[in-house]
Amino acid sequence: MPSSKSEIRTIVVEAAIVVIVGLGIGLAANALSPRGLALSRNYFPGGTNQAAAAPGPVQAVPGPAETNEPSEAAQLSERLRGKGLQELKLNQVEILFDDPRRQDGRIVFVDARNPDDYQEGHIPGAYELDPYHPEKELGTILPICQAAEKVVVYCTGGDCEDSDTVALLLQDGGVPDQKLFVYGGGFTAWEAAHLPVETGARNGGTDSK
Amino acid sequence: MTADQTMWKRKAFEAAAVAVRWALGAYFVYMGLKKAMHPEEFLKLTRQYEMVHTPFLLNTIAAGLPWFEAFCGILLLLGIAVRGTALTLVAVLVPFTWLVLRRALVLQALRAIPFCAVKFDCGCGAGEVYICNKLAENIILILVSCWLLSGVGRAFCARHALFPGKSGKVKAGG
Repeated sequence: MPSSKSEIRTIVVEAAIVVIVGLGIGLAANALSPRGLALSRNYFPGGTNQAAAAPGPVQAVPGPAETNEPSEAAQLSERLRGKGLQELKLNQVEILFDDPRRQDGRIVFVDARNPDDYQEGHIPGAYELDPYHPEKELGTILPICQAAEKVVVYCTGGDCEDSDTVALLLQDGGVPDQKLFVYGGGFTAWEAAHLPVETGARNGGTDSK
Repeated sequence: MTADQTMWKRKAFEAAAVAVRWALGAYFVYMGLKKAMHPEEFLKLTRQYEMVHTPFLLNTIAAGLPWFEAFCGILLLLGIAVRGTALTLVAVLVPFTWLVLRRALVLQALRAIPFCAVKFDCGCGAGEVYICNKLAENIILILVSCWLLSGVGRAFCARHALFPGKSGKVKAGG
């Protein structure tokens, strides 16, 4: 261990240099990275702190002893209500999915998961809108959502709040509240119910039951 | 003990210290880059700790920390500013371990399960982990960093100290 005062001081100065240079490099790398974060953007319009949006073990994945489902469902509903968003359950989403209006674009599904997950499988016909890089697709999707009668946004489900973020983005973009719905169960519940899944690009992949 | 034995013992000790430095460096490079490839996931995980209340600070932490971690790892691998880097890692690991522990205690209380059964993604880069394993891992990382802070592992260093004249010890080997 460092023994003399001057040795300790030297190491502290060295550490300070490492911190300053490291953070500088870190922020520069983030700025140059195509996946980098925009520092000034609020990625969680419902609140920076998770507790503000949803009390309880929201980020936690249930461990060996599962948390009870009603409590999680109640938390989800409470979270969406807190953000002024309307929630849809699986049976309601299924009805909208089978509705002929979906075929002519009056009912629109928006997938708020990351592009890799979208490619691996999504609700057939759903548009991809990454909440962390919305600039890529928002310009295209916004007019489609504005023209639609109902817009259903989903992400992974459960404690995933990306659907809320996308719904709020669309709301900010001028999509009226009454048209916007968040499917809380998300893609996990959709897949678990063995409902159709499309892989790859929108309307370009394979449907499977 | 003969002089030869003492010398071999010292060499083995130094070799072990260098191996540990490389292993720690590689660990931080791997974990840092893994997080840096998916900064939005790391952002969500950072948010769970409720450390900061403004988007700018939260984004800055989530954007800078993974690359910073990788940078520290590279410094250890190359053997540059080793003691300063080790001190930095201790200064980051200790409060982070405290945050992970605090989060785990909250989850334990909410789920009413034994402490070691708490499993969650702590944002460490390894996905979901059992809390007791994570705490043990972090303690090992802190101890290893402290060991490097003591000045061992000087062989194969590009520049062990940024200010060699002031660090008080002579570079051995490398």
